[in-house]
Amino acid sequence: MAAEYAADLYQAFVDQDPAGAIQVVEHARASGVPQEQLFDALYAPAMGLLGGAWAAGDIDEISFTQAAVVAEQIGSFVMPPAARRDTGVTVIVGTMHRDHHSIARTIIAATLKEAGFRVNDLGVDVRPADFLERVEETGARIVIVFAEMTATARAVARVREMLATGGYDDVVILVSGGPFAAEPALAREVGANGVVPSAESALKLVARVARDRAAAEAEA
Amino acid sequence: MMGGRPTALLTAEELARSGAVGAAVEACYEALALGDREPRIHALLAHLMLEGDFYDQAIAEATKAIEIDPDCSAAYLALGLAYDRRGGMSDQSVLVWHELAEVAPDLVTAHVQLGEAFAAAAFEDDAVASWKRALELDAKEARATYNLAIASLKREGMALALPLFRQAGELDPSQDELFFTLLGVHEAPAEPIDIERVKPTREARLGAAGLALRAEDLFTAADLVRLVLDEDPDDPEALALAAYAYLKQEAANESMACALRALSLDPELPTALYCLGVVYSRRTGLNRHAARVFIALAKRAGTHALVHVLLAESLLGLQKFEAAGKSYRLGVRLDPACVRARFGLAASHLTEGRFAEAQWEIRRAAYYDTKRQGLFWRLYDEYAGAGED
Repeated sequence: MAAEYAADLYQAFVDQDPAGAIQVVEHARASGVPQEQLFDALYAPAMGLLGGAWAAGDIDEISFTQAAVVAEQIGSFVMPPAARRDTGVTVIVGTMHRDHHSIARTIIAATLKEAGFRVNDLGVDVRPADFLERVEETGARIVIVFAEMTATARAVARVREMLATGGYDDVVILVSGGPFAAEPALAREVGANGVVPSAESALKLVARVARDRAAAEAEA
Repeated sequence: MMGGRPTALLTAEELARSGAVGAAVEACYEALALGDREPRIHALLAHLMLEGDFYDQAIAEATKAIEIDPDCSAAYLALGLAYDRRGGMSDQSVLVWHELAEVAPDLVTAHVQLGEAFAAAAFEDDAVASWKRALELDAKEARATYNLAIASLKREGMALALPLFRQAGELDPSQDELFFTLLGVHEAPAEPIDIERVKPTREARLGAAGLALRAEDLFTAADLVRLVLDEDPDDPEALALAAYAYLKQEAANESMACALRALSLDPELPTALYCLGVVYSRRTGLNRHAARVFIALAKRAGTHALVHVLLAESLLGLQKFEAAGKSYRLGVRLDPACVRARFGLAASHLTEGRFAEAQWEIRRAAYYDTKRQGLFWRLYDEYAGAGED
């Protein structure tokens, strides 16, 4: 079936018929080909047929170019979805009070955002009370605190205390920064639940926390 | 200050140019014994010391050259590079690159280096301004664009930085080099290809088409490919050449069509894999496809550093930062002078919070980039020539 759609799409390209090409894509989608497979199932084979027709001289250079223009026009209809789906999980990120290092936080926040997490970035120089305030406002249950200096890393304990004071003992605090990488025991000392050494580990850890929490809520 | 070059200096220059660093150093000291007020000797000695990673000596010699003649641009270059490579001297480095940009305002690399020195000293806005100035002087300056990509990563994350890495990569001549290495065409032809004089055989036509592509004579290449396809439309190698010719004309869909057809005939043809991978990597949303294609290319042509770099860039787009880092490291191991791999590895380090390692890779990229350009000798010869006029 997909081969037939690919042949039809190729024909629409050659006929310079963008509306027809869109119709073919819509038919394929309606018949059950998911969006993420349209490119491989339809578009790429149709383009291969187009290349073959040009090589064989079945279509001339001008027709080839015009067909390629039609292919360009409908490209967005067959592309896999660019953005990941919203996970519905809110994550608060911020750099500790008196700490102005922002690179790691920016990279990790952007990575989480791109992966579909709702990131609430508090920026640099964030007081412990601001973390609590934002947890109250958003209902977030995951907080990533960044600290690149020993003093500010130790001060993360204040965030844990502040959250406990507000009755948010169940909030997961993850920490990131040089002092935590240099001294792994420090994270536990300040009451953190885990260390995020890199952007990829942040993705994995946050996804795991979100999954565990969802499973626990489902059980309850 | 400068007259004709003393014989001892000429000997030292000759030895240095031929790569005989030790003998050149000895010749420099012999020249200095005859008179130590010649800035060229000190500048040359600084360059040689830098070659041997003797940074403090390089700094001392370059400083002497500048003291004798503050217009000695080659000495500024050696001094700036010595400060950068020694590390921890970003304040001095900023001053030197600033001076070089004054002495040689059209020297694009001076602005690129100035930007890197600013970035190392955490003056990000000044750094970005310097790289933009470099791009005003030469819009195709790859290293300035790589640096802007790194700056974008620090400020906005990978999704916005990656297009800049790719843009820089396409300015980098190494990407075209990869295609021609895969094709087995190592040199551009000495003369334009005359289609009438090409033997009417498939091999001769394809060989000539490859040479024509290398010489950027796309029309001759296209005519030769057409002759091959007229005899056999199912010739995957001819289709791959067509895909590359279209790629060079920014005709991505035509390129994709030819590459896909070629791969339907020979699924492992490296030149077709290269073209398809590049087309996919230019499209938002096709990182997974690009990665798949570059993995296949790495299996067929894994000894080429750039194949791993291209794969790594697709992996960055998929947020597979650790795997990307691994591919970049492999790229650097295969070709330590690959600037694109060094900047990519720096980006990968940044995603892991390893800032010092990232900075180190950027400094190594600068070292290889200035070396590749032969910048010291260009400045040295200009300076020496001006003195002798």
